Amino acid sequence: MNRRHFLKYIARSILGTSGLWLSSRGMAWGKSAFDYALEGQNLIAAKRFAEAIEVLKEAIRLDSKSDWAHGLLGRAYHGLDQKAEAVAAFREAVRLNPADTYSRMMIEIITQKPIPRLKRPARPLSPLEKAAKVEEEVMLNQLSPEGGLAYQVKRVVLDPGHGGFDSGAIGPTGLKEKEVTLDLALRLSRRISEKGNIKCFLTRTGDYYIPLSERTVIANQYQADLFVSIHINANENPKAHGCETYYCSERASSKEAARVAAFENAVLKYDEPFKKRPGYIDIEEILFNFERRLYWEESGKFAGTFQDYFQQTLPFKSRGVHSANFFVLRRAKMPSILLETGFVSNRDEEAKLKKASVREEIAAAVVRGLLHGRA
Amino acid sequence: MDVHDLIFQGADYHYKGDLDKAIAKFQAAVRVEPQNEYAHNQLGILYAKKEHFDAAFGEFQKVVQIDRRNTYALLWLGILYLKQGNLNQGFEKFQRIIEIDPANADAYYFLGAVYNFRHNTARAIEYLKKARDADSAEPDTHYRLAQAFHNLDMTANALLEYQRTLALKPSHTKAINGIGWIYYNRGDRDAAICQWKKTLKINPKDRDAIFNLAKAYNDLAWEARNHNKLEAAILYWKKTLAVDPKNKAALHYLKKYENREPEIGNRLRSSLR
Repeated sequence: MNRRHFLKYIARSILGTSGLWLSSRGMAWGKSAFDYALEGQNLIAAKRFAEAIEVLKEAIRLDSKSDWAHGLLGRAYHGLDQKAEAVAAFREAVRLNPADTYSRMMIEIITQKPIPRLKRPARPLSPLEKAAKVEEEVMLNQLSPEGGLAYQVKRVVLDPGHGGFDSGAIGPTGLKEKEVTLDLALRLSRRISEKGNIKCFLTRTGDYYIPLSERTVIANQYQADLFVSIHINANENPKAHGCETYYCSERASSKEAARVAAFENAVLKYDEPFKKRPGYIDIEEILFNFERRLYWEESGKFAGTFQDYFQQTLPFKSRGVHSANFFVLRRAKMPSILLETGFVSNRDEEAKLKKASVREEIAAAVVRGLLHGRA
Repeated sequence: MDVHDLIFQGADYHYKGDLDKAIAKFQAAVRVEPQNEYAHNQLGILYAKKEHFDAAFGEFQKVVQIDRRNTYALLWLGILYLKQGNLNQGFEKFQRIIEIDPANADAYYFLGAVYNFRHNTARAIEYLKKARDADSAEPDTHYRLAQAFHNLDMTANALLEYQRTLALKPSHTKAINGIGWIYYNRGDRDAAICQWKKTLKINPKDRDAIFNLAKAYNDLAWEARNHNKLEAAILYWKKTLAVDPKNKAALHYLKKYENREPEIGNRLRSSLR
């Protein structure tokens, strides 16, 4: 028999003898929580809600773990249209007994529309709460909540590709990709720091190797708003030339982009996908997927802006923007792009990449892209 | 049959996981009482659970047509818009809820989450604090608020909210990992490592904790190597491999230094003299 039918049954059977129950209240001595709860139920059936509340509070005082009494208290409050109190009582009933269908249903029915809130009693602050309050007063006064939903960039992590034993591509005259990427990142970092309003972090500051997985860990460590991985391209065809920008997306934009991503991803295993639980909606999964999609879209916008500036200002042909499902970019919890600024395997471009002036031009183009690609 | 009985039976089937029977009961309920908002809302949820999102959308829209103040239906419309990737429509629904019910914790939560996704941290904090103050029992509200504070380097507040998350849900590994980064960035690496190990006890496959630990051990190894403490460096690289066996850096440096420890140690020592 389910709860409601049981209640109906009890209510019907008790109504006929309510006088006995009510009169027994006067005998006060020896009454159990069950007795009070039953009496409260009786009063509810008689629509004497205020009295029921008093009796049910007594039942709860004697047995605070009675989900039945809490559920009845919810019904009594509901009878008086005290919605907030009713929901609180039903919630307690469900907490004590998650299988309480009636109370669960009542919570959902009542909270479909606005209800007044219950006041919570104030309590003294813990030392951490006090420190947090002071910090908040100082920090939030410095911030003016800027409106709008435009993406905001205040922290950038620059990732000079390769390093240490992994020299990356090597040009015909010996120029190493790892040296160019580090130099570019350091130049960029200086330029960004000069602007003052964007914090900049590097995944490496010297000639040592960092695994791919660690690079995005660093971006996550600093809560970065944008992750920029810097690379120099290479190809078996020595005539291949130009600069291009990659970003992460579900589908590759071309066969070549898919091939590059497959190559990059080959040594790494994918995350375990969310395991689908049938008959269950995971709100956090919806938000996770939404967040990732937003970051990918934003990455595409940044990639487009960067590439535009490359095309306008660099002595390299633009090879456009490409997308693919790169593991290294996919693990970043922010928009992330991968720059390929020229081909070190091309003799002319290798010569250009050796020049400090060209490197400064590249850094300047990236900074412009950064400043114009953000809100 | 009485509509209330149909609804109660539908709810009972729903909570017990029998979605098809629940749908049948609520469909019967709306045939008897087409304006019953609760029955339509339940149908919406049930269709969504069965991944019939268009049908779910239709049910929630019916509810809003019956009563535009039904914030439950508006909330689910907002969530379904986010699921479609429609930021503006979702955002508009959550804002409408706030206009109707200025104390709606769920709407504030989603608005705060959306601002967090746009890295508009000040706004995210504003809304998530309202969500927290309206209903402090949701661990994810505290977690997202912690993230927003963390993004602004407000570490006391971030730590407090991460701790509140864990008080409500001790297995919230993302909160544990976040605390780890606060300790790490403060320079307390041992405490950070303890946090990430705690995560791995809860979920040995947590990739964030694995990679965070690998990074911490690699950093320590590199520092030890630079201070001519090769034995310690080797120990740390071994620790890296214990958590991340394919870590290319640890594999490489271990191979390079492990068998040549005395020789390299002498060379490093003489170079420092």
